[in-house]
Amino acid sequence: MTANQPQAFVQIRNVFKEFETAGKGAAPIPVIDGVSMDIQEGEFVVFLGPSGCGKTTLMRIVGGLETATSGEVLLDGEQVAGPDRRKGMVFQAYTSFPWLTVFENIKFGTKYREDIGEAERTRVARHYLKLVDLEDFTDFFVNRISGGMRQRVAIARTLAAAPDILLMDEPFGALDALTRDFLQEQLLEICRAERKAVIFVTHDVEEAVFLADRVFMFSARPARVIEEIDVNGAIGSDRTSDTKETDAFFHLRNHVRDLMRDEAKAVR
Amino acid sequence: MRWTEGEDEDVGHGRPRTPERLRGRARRTLPLSPPAGRAAGPGGGGPPLAALVPYRGASGGRANLTLGIVAFILFIAIWYLIVFTGIVSERFLPYPGVVIWTMAELLTKESFQTDVQISVARVWGAFLLSVAAAVPIGIWMSSYRIVGALLEPIVDFIRYLPVPALVPLLIIWFGIGEASKVAVLWMGTFFQLVLLIADDAKRIPREFVETGYTLGAKPRQITRSIVLPAMLPTMVDNLRITLGWCWTWIIVAEIVAANSGIGHYIWSMRRFLKTPEVMAGILVVGIIGLLTDQAVRILHRRLFRYL
Repeated sequence: MTANQPQAFVQIRNVFKEFETAGKGAAPIPVIDGVSMDIQEGEFVVFLGPSGCGKTTLMRIVGGLETATSGEVLLDGEQVAGPDRRKGMVFQAYTSFPWLTVFENIKFGTKYREDIGEAERTRVARHYLKLVDLEDFTDFFVNRISGGMRQRVAIARTLAAAPDILLMDEPFGALDALTRDFLQEQLLEICRAERKAVIFVTHDVEEAVFLADRVFMFSARPARVIEEIDVNGAIGSDRTSDTKETDAFFHLRNHVRDLMRDEAKAVR
Repeated sequence: MRWTEGEDEDVGHGRPRTPERLRGRARRTLPLSPPAGRAAGPGGGGPPLAALVPYRGASGGRANLTLGIVAFILFIAIWYLIVFTGIVSERFLPYPGVVIWTMAELLTKESFQTDVQISVARVWGAFLLSVAAAVPIGIWMSSYRIVGALLEPIVDFIRYLPVPALVPLLIIWFGIGEASKVAVLWMGTFFQLVLLIADDAKRIPREFVETGYTLGAKPRQITRSIVLPAMLPTMVDNLRITLGWCWTWIIVAEIVAANSGIGHYIWSMRRFLKTPEVMAGILVVGIIGLLTDQAVRILHRRLFRYL
């Protein structure tokens, strides 16, 4: 984290964020309280923290969808000034477009790419359709498929836009436990194939530990990083569905969960 | 809107599942849903009419049609009884048969057919002019707060001006030709429509717009490829409703100042106290309205198969 190391892919530098409140003279609410971190290329980073702590806001600042009150975010050495195709985003709410089929939705991801032509767009869309395992549903409208599938469509569409970094805001939050498990494994496979930097926001401890190379544990609002957990160091980078059964995983999860509990207690 | 339904999705472990869980049908077979259970009856597969009874129950095409026709028959029966028992004199309320017969005769008359054509042309002409202005301005208002903040108050104010009160003014300005009719209809629909459209555009999920940005789209491209298709189903519904209002205003305009059109016909028959003709004229407006409405509904279903 020192300045003379080679530049990290994403650099978050002393970011503060306050939300203005309605009404004259009302004090602004601090949401993010001076966060700094470096994220390397191809690294899977999870922002974990209690609900409403400001972790999503921090991710949205990285995505250019919000601006920091002070501090800055650099992506590949360039200051983030607004949203664009380099910062792909998957939301918790279903954002696949109901007027398009599964395939058309995924292909929509390539619509604003200037680096490829029409034939290549179709090829890219087919590739990601296959990657998220939805070939059987190519021509289905998205409200005829399940919530888990809709999130896979959204992930495929985001990847089809060829972003430099993938930002995921509790994408599996609305899904049932079994679907979640399945999608977590699938996401890891996809990330292994894509080797992209990922920021994944969640308040689910098990999900965080299972997915992450590194977990950043946030305090309750205003968000500060209270602990950085090197998951790879503790349980290795190779994860399968059996990983969750191992002792190492169990211990790490309990440790992180205790941190979460203490933090939740502090709020109350 | 439908794409916010999210939470109730049941999911098959992420594995492909046959998409049989289409609305309505699935609801009726869900064992735990009390209204559905009652509708289906103990043996399951209850009569289509019974499915319409429970609170927010499923709707069946055949049963809907039957009930719709029943309502018309009841309406005519009550009307008949009122005349038959002499509650209202036949002079003021003719028998339904007389009115329907008069209408059938009327529709074969060339002069009346011209009246109908003129009214339809006025309604559609003014309506399309209104839509052509309201759609871009409405979307513009919702896209940029500065435009919305500027226009909303004044549009809201004009919206509340009673259209019939504007008729004399519009006649002073535009004379008694076609221009004044179009102006009345335009005034009566544009200011309502522009707010409805702005609302439709505003109501699409914020994440849709943000998704557009993160896929690399510019605001103009987001409007064209995301906002417009997303709002289209509700917009077509609102257009359908607004078109109905046009028929109210056209009759007002034609009664006050015109020498053609259905409104003019109704008003001229009143002078001779020809109640059946007056009622037949009104009925024709109703029928045209009903047919247009159904046509747009069918179009809606065709255009938006994904809903």
